[in-house]
Order: sequence, then structure tokens, then C-alpha cells
Amino acid sequence: MKRYLLTAIGIGITGAYLFPLYWMYATALKDDAEIVQYPPTLVPQRPFWNVGEVFFGRHMPSYLWNSLVVAVGVTALVIVLGTGCAYVLGRARGRWVDALLFFVLMMQVLPSSLVVTPLFVGFNLAGLLGTPRLAVILAQTAKALPFYVVICRASFAGVPRDLEEAALVDGHSRLAAFFHIAVPLARNGILVAAVLVFLQSFGEYVFARSMISDDGLQTATVGLSAFLGPNTSDWHGIMTYSAIYVTPILIIFVLLQRRIVAGLTAGAIK
Amino acid sequence: MKISGQTSRPGRIAVSALPDPTASTMRLSVFDTFRDGRGLDALLVLLTLVYLIVFGLAPILYTVLMSLQQVDMFTLGDFSRPFVGFANYVDVLTRPEAGMVARHTLVFVALSVACQLVLGFALALFFQQDFPGAGIMRGLFLAAWIMPGLVVGGIWRWMLAGDNGVVNSLLAVTHLHPTKIFWMSDPATSLYAVTIANIWLGIPFNMLLLSVGLAAIPKDLYEAAQLDGAGPVERFRSITLPMMRATLGALVSLSVIFTLQQFDLFAGMTQGGPSNSSNVAQFWSWQLSFQTYDIAGGSTIAVLMIAVVIGVATLYVRSTRHEQIG
Amino acid sequence: MMKTTALAAVALLGVCGSSLRAEPLTLDFWSVDQDGQYAYGMAKAYEAAHPDIKVNVRRVQFPDMVNDLARAAMTGNVPDISYVDNPDVALLASRGALSDLTGMIAADKTIDMESFYPGPRGAASVNGKVYAVPRGANTLALFYNADMFKAHGLDPDHPPQTWDEFYAAAKTLTDPAKNVYGLAFSAANSEEGTFQFLPWVQMAGGNYDHINTPGAVEALQFWQKLIDEKVASPDTLVRGQYDSTGTFNAGNAAMVVSGPWELPRMSRDAKFDWRVALLPVKTAGGPRASALGEGTNVIPTKAKHPKEAFAMISFMNARMPTVWNDFGFLPASKVDVPDPKWPAAYKVFATALEDAKVRGPSPDWVKISKPIQTAVQAALTHQTDAKTALDTAQAQIDRVLKK
Repeated sequence: MKRYLLTAIGIGITGAYLFPLYWMYATALKDDAEIVQYPPTLVPQRPFWNVGEVFFGRHMPSYLWNSLVVAVGVTALVIVLGTGCAYVLGRARGRWVDALLFFVLMMQVLPSSLVVTPLFVGFNLAGLLGTPRLAVILAQTAKALPFYVVICRASFAGVPRDLEEAALVDGHSRLAAFFHIAVPLARNGILVAAVLVFLQSFGEYVFARSMISDDGLQTATVGLSAFLGPNTSDWHGIMTYSAIYVTPILIIFVLLQRRIVAGLTAGAIK
Repeated sequence: MKISGQTSRPGRIAVSALPDPTASTMRLSVFDTFRDGRGLDALLVLLTLVYLIVFGLAPILYTVLMSLQQVDMFTLGDFSRPFVGFANYVDVLTRPEAGMVARHTLVFVALSVACQLVLGFALALFFQQDFPGAGIMRGLFLAAWIMPGLVVGGIWRWMLAGDNGVVNSLLAVTHLHPTKIFWMSDPATSLYAVTIANIWLGIPFNMLLLSVGLAAIPKDLYEAAQLDGAGPVERFRSITLPMMRATLGALVSLSVIFTLQQFDLFAGMTQGGPSNSSNVAQFWSWQLSFQTYDIAGGSTIAVLMIAVVIGVATLYVRSTRHEQIG
Repeated sequence: MMKTTALAAVALLGVCGSSLRAEPLTLDFWSVDQDGQYAYGMAKAYEAAHPDIKVNVRRVQFPDMVNDLARAAMTGNVPDISYVDNPDVALLASRGALSDLTGMIAADKTIDMESFYPGPRGAASVNGKVYAVPRGANTLALFYNADMFKAHGLDPDHPPQTWDEFYAAAKTLTDPAKNVYGLAFSAANSEEGTFQFLPWVQMAGGNYDHINTPGAVEALQFWQKLIDEKVASPDTLVRGQYDSTGTFNAGNAAMVVSGPWELPRMSRDAKFDWRVALLPVKTAGGPRASALGEGTNVIPTKAKHPKEAFAMISFMNARMPTVWNDFGFLPASKVDVPDPKWPAAYKVFATALEDAKVRGPSPDWVKISKPIQTAVQAALTHQTDAKTALDTAQAQIDRVLKK
């Protein structure tokens, strides 16, 4: 009985929290006049829906594909580069570890909008702007890597050390202990961090906007800004586009979340 | 490598899943350093480090350089720019809005981080309980993380609009506040309007990371404490908080950094206005660099922000010294 | 690869002298337009008329245009033609980013700089040299809801002529019970805020470089009164012109100060008898003023095909009479527009354009505009009084202009 009461409260909280998301869908269904009308209507009065027009008319398949390329690239690169570092920083103690952690955190400081100028200069010199999606992946990886390392480090720090030491005593290599003890035990943290990195990179805007000039290689969030003209802002279109963009990710995430977050409760081995 | 090939038994994480140690006895010693000793540590760390130096540190150093030079949008590619010492710093810090912006940044960051943490923690604890649908609901919270920044800014701008905003309309219907609040156009509330939106945006991240941290706490600790007669508050204080130290440290520092990077909400809601009443350092820096093409001024603010974050990072690194190691 | 092909083609041509066609030449054209608007429409028309040329239009966000052009100048990847907003021409030209078109225009038979209205002409030239060809113009006027005028006993055939009449009408039309403000405009913290404010200053005898004259202070106080008495919404400070006009279309404002770009949407969304009038003047017989909007076509300095680019600009200029009907802005030169859509509105806007003044021109326009926006917002929210706010702005502007 108590459990269902909790469910009811949970639905209440979640509903309140997701109100802005509802507002996005509601606005997507309203016409221009109803969007600005006041008092505002909670439920669209003359709902209309032009998903097809927005999806194909705005080249969304191509944009979404490019976003996917960027997000997959960044996530893969971040996992390969960052997991080991997070492990070492989560295990070792000492002055140099402090210094490293400090350095890693520092690398995350500046907003993309301020880093993009020097990166653009550098990438131009290196000729990377000829492969703009790669340039965006490289830039966004630098942005996501510190974040990933810091989160994973906390997870590795939580892995009981004695299991690993037992393996070493048994004569296993540290590399083996890393892959077979530490990584599996910290997998929840790694997964969550990777998912967050993926989603963040999927929605990357600043680098893509500045470095990708060919519309065929452009990403979905930049495509969204096409609704904003000098004298126009097509809110209905923006929200429709955004609904198309958000809904599948949200569904995938809710489905996957059973694995990702629900697995958390069974996470610790102790 | 042989090791991994031999032992890829999915799903097993027990020690017994390890390879037969005799398989790796015939290795060269140089190779061994990279498997077993400091060499491995160094290699793993270097991967990240080198990458960050090239793609992270270099742009920051370039920003520092630009803050000491006379540079605008058109001399970006030039390398022969005149050095002006700290003139840009003097210029930026003596502008009439400088003090105001610094104060707003502080309020914005402190309020955002504190509220995100408290609300995120409360939600994490709530959804930690076992009830039907808890998982799915927790997953739905991530919607905020997925929505494009432009859209989040736009939605909050509509919701908090004075005349046709749904928030005012709900406040009026429920008789909580029958008159309209001009959230974004009243200088007394504009900064808080953006802060509210930012808190909303940061909750899922906090909640998710705290959930991960909570799940990693061994249940038997609680059971033991319960047997000892510790109440829920006592258990939270003596078990949960100390065990969450690493997570909390990471979370707070990342939240501070994320909040300092928040840009879309300012662009979408108030543009720092009215009359700078909701302007913060990162948005001001962007305005100088890209609205008035004064890259030097924008870079200077960025460098000042780095200086502040160095302080925050020091705190974080210190906090990691006290955390529990499993 | 492309180069090799081209070389091979040239070699072939040289050898056999046949009429072998090279690949079509591609012109890169940057603009802030959306699908179906000016740049896209012109590109289509030009490609149809010149099968040997392909026009590749790239959309750049309006606020990013100068940044993108500056960055492009650095990398050398500049477009052949680009849109540039009027006040930005002086900046880009002063930094050597734009080609001097004076010679080409002199040699061209179709572009006559004298035919442009003074505003657009002023925006296109710097120190006697021409760097841009105006592509069109827009300006501000007063849209009003004639039905509401009638309902409140006002004569819709005699819209307000002076500030006093304007204020009185707005006051009468304001009806909080029905969620109607008398007026909507934009005092946003962006270029739009300056765009809307300057005409009022100019009507009162000030200008961007004389922003704290007694007349300018009166203009700002006039705006203050509109907001203070809730004749216009306090959200005027965070709404752009498009969203402000949206409230007019929805029937939540009885009048709105806006431009011709709104006409298509208004005809679709506004379900009432709307009309257009010139902005009211300060006192009867006083000087008129209006803002000059829209922009120009330019050729960046490092453009790869400047000659072909100019030919296209010339082509576009020749189609000036069509811009009103096809793209919703005014011709920048005194051409005859046959059978204009919304003829009454066209007449008003064309008249308003006569008195439209370019913002600046100054290579530091953005640094002049920002203090003005801040001053307007500071006064409208009573953080300072109008005089002090404008004095502060004037001091900052003086520093920029003296540099």
C-alpha cells in the first residue's frame, strides 16, 4: 500500500518537473496567435501538427545523422582516452594526483563559446576545418573528457580495493585487474557518464555552428536555429522540431534506463 | 593481447573470471611495466593528459595571451599583435557594470548549485526507494538534459512571460499571487528568473549522479547501523554523507563549472537585461567578444573566470583527500 | 581533383579548340534569409538565367554574420557575395574586409548610386567609396487595430499624428480587464532596441551622437510614461519586434510599432481590420524620422570570383521593383513598384522611408548601440532617471567616437 502511495507522489513530482517538457509539446501544437495569446491556454485549442513538413522540409534526417556521428565519435573517444585515467586518479593518492585532478578540472572551465575562437584559429592552421565533423568531435571531446574523468573517478574510488589486491596477490596483472575487476565494478558510473557525454555531444551547438559550414554536414541543434530569422522567430516550428528531436531520445532513454539506472540498485557487490 | 582474448566471459565480475596467471608469465620486463607498474599508470594518465594539453590547455593559453594584447575579431589570425600589458584588465574592471556582473555571477552560481544539490539529493533519496515506476520516472527526469539549449531558453521565456506566461496564469488561478509578476523585465527578479530555469536544468544531473553514489553504498552498513539503534537522520549523517564524499565533491565542482558555462538561458530569456540586471560573467564575456567584437575584453573576463574556478578546483581537490577509499 | 579536371579541360580546349564546357562556376552566397526568401529566390532566378553558374546559398544567423565574415577573412574561405546589415558595412569596410565597388559600379550601366534613398546610400559608402549595394530597405510605422479604435470611439481614419495624440489614444485603448495594452513596441536589450528608439530621438532633435539632448531625454521620458502607466507591457523590455507584433496580431495590443516584414504574417493571423500609419511626430509640423532596416550585398575582399559576383549583384539590383511583392521589403531605390501587395501599407512605408536614417554610419556602431540599449532599459526600469541614463550613454559614445 505504502509503495503505491510513493508511486502517486512520484508521479506528482515527475509531472510537475516535466511541465516545461509538456509546454514544449503544447506549444508545438499551437498556431502563432495562440502561442502569444493571454491568458495562455493549457491545452491547445486548435491543435495542428506538421511533423512531416518539419522533419523532411528542414532536412532533419541529415542533421540527425550528423549529430549521431558527432555524438558516437565523442563518446568513443572519451571512453578510450578517459577511463584509464579516471581509474588511476581514483586509485592513487598523493600530491601529483591532486595536481592532475586539478589540471583536468581546469580544462573544463571555459564555456565552449569562449574556447571556440582559439580552437578555430588552431584548427585552421592544422587544416582540420576541411573535415569539419572530425574537428567538432575533437573539440567536443576536449570539453567532455574532464567531465567524464571526474565522474568516473568517483566511481572507481568507490570500488573496494581489496578485491583488486586479492587478484594481484593471485598473480594477475594490474591490467587484468583493471579490466576484470575495476571496470565491471565501476560500470554504472562509467555508463552513466558515457550516456551523459553522449547526450551532451548529440546536442552540441557552438562548435558545430562555427566549424561546419556545409549544411549537409551540419548537426541537428544548429539546424534548429534556422527557425530564427532577423525579424522572425517561428516558435511553433522550433517546438515541433524540438519535439521530433527530443521524443525518440527520451523513449530510448526510458527503455534503456532499466539497464542503466535500475541496475544501480544491484550495482555494489559488497 | 592474450589476456583479454582468453577471458572475455561476459557478465562475470568475480575474481574467478580472471585468466590463468601462468599464461602471462613469459613476458618481457619492459612490457611488464606497462601492465603492472607505474608505467601503466603513466600511460593511462598520459592519454588523457596529452589530449587535454593539446585541445584544452592550448586554447586557454591562447585566451590568456589575447587578454594581454590588443585584439579584435579581425586581428584574430594575426600573430603580430601589440601587447598592452594589463590594460584590458583595467578597462574591463573599471567599466560601470563590472561590480554588478561579479555580484550577479556569485548569486547565480551559489543559488543554482545549492538548490540543485538539495533538490537533486532529495529526489535521489526519494527515487531510491522501492516502488513501482521509480526507474522510469527517474529516467524521465533526464528530459531536461536532452532538450537543446535554445529550446530550454525559449520554453522558460514563454512560461515566465509577464502577460501571457503560464506560470503567472497558474499563480493567479491558485490565488498564490493574483497580480502579474514580470519575471524577466523587472530588474528585481530577472536574475532569479534565469536562476529558476537553471536549477530546473541542473536537477537531473545532480539526481542521477547522487543516485549512482547512493546505490554504491553497501546495504549492510545501514543494516548494521539499524541494529545499533541509529535513526534515519543519524544513518544519513554517519553513513550516507561520508560515503558520498567523492561523489559530492565531484558533483559540486562540476555543478559550479556547468553553472559558470550557462549561456543559452541568458541568450533566450533576458539577454542579460534589463540594463545588465541579469548579466553574468560568461554572458558578458560573450557579449564583448561577439556582439561588440572586442575579443580582448571578452578574453580578459574569461581569464578572470578561470582564476575563480582555480579556487573552486582547489577546494574540490582538497575534499578528495578525505574521502573513503573502499 | 577538381583542379586536375579543370586543367585537363583547359588543355583539351587548347588542343582541339572545341566548345567543350567546363564545370559550372559556383558562387558562394551567404545570407541571413530563410528558405524562399531573398537570397534563395535570387539564386534560383540567377541560375535559371545563367545555366553556367551555380549559386550556393548558405544561411548564417543574423547576429553571427560579422563574426563569420571576420573568421572567414582569416581562413580565406570567404563567400563571393554576402548579405551585410546596414550599420555593419562601415565596420567591415574599415577593417579591409570588403571589396571597393566604386570602380565596378561606375563601369556598370544598371547600378546608379544616386537612385538610392539617402539612408541606404549612406549605409553603402564609407569615405566616398562604395563598398555595398543596398538590396532593399525597411522601416518603422504604426500598425493599428481599426476595430478597437471604433469600439473606443476613436476615428480609425485619423490615426494619432503627434506624441500627445498617440499617448491619449494608447491610454484610451488600454483595457486591462480584456488583457489589452494600448501599444506594443520593443525596447529589448539588443540592436532591435536601438532600432526602435532612435527614430523617437531623431524626431526630438537628437541622434546617436547627441543622445543626451533635452529632446532625447524627453523621448526616453515619453517611453517611460508608456511603460509606467502600463499602456505598454513591461515585457516590452525582453520582447523583440516579432514577439511584440505577435501580441498585436492576437488582439492583446491595439497598436504596434513595427515594419513591413510583418505584413504576410499579419494578413494571416490578425483577424481584424488592421491599418498602417506613419509614426506620430513630436509636435504638429515637427520633423519626421524613421529607422532604416534591411541590408546590402557585398563582395568580401578575398572573394574568388569578384567579377561574376558583381554581375550577380547587378542582376539582383535590376530586380529591385520585385522585392516588395516577392520578399516583403521595400525597394532601396526610387523605382516604380507595379501593382504592390497591400497597397495602402506600401504607400505609408514608402513615405516613411524618405525620412529613414541609417544607424551611424560608424565603424564602431556596436559600441555606440550597446550603451543606448542599456540607457533605455535602465530608465524604463527606473534604475536611473532618463537624463542620467542618457548622460552615461553619451559619455561612453563620446569615448568611442573620439578614438
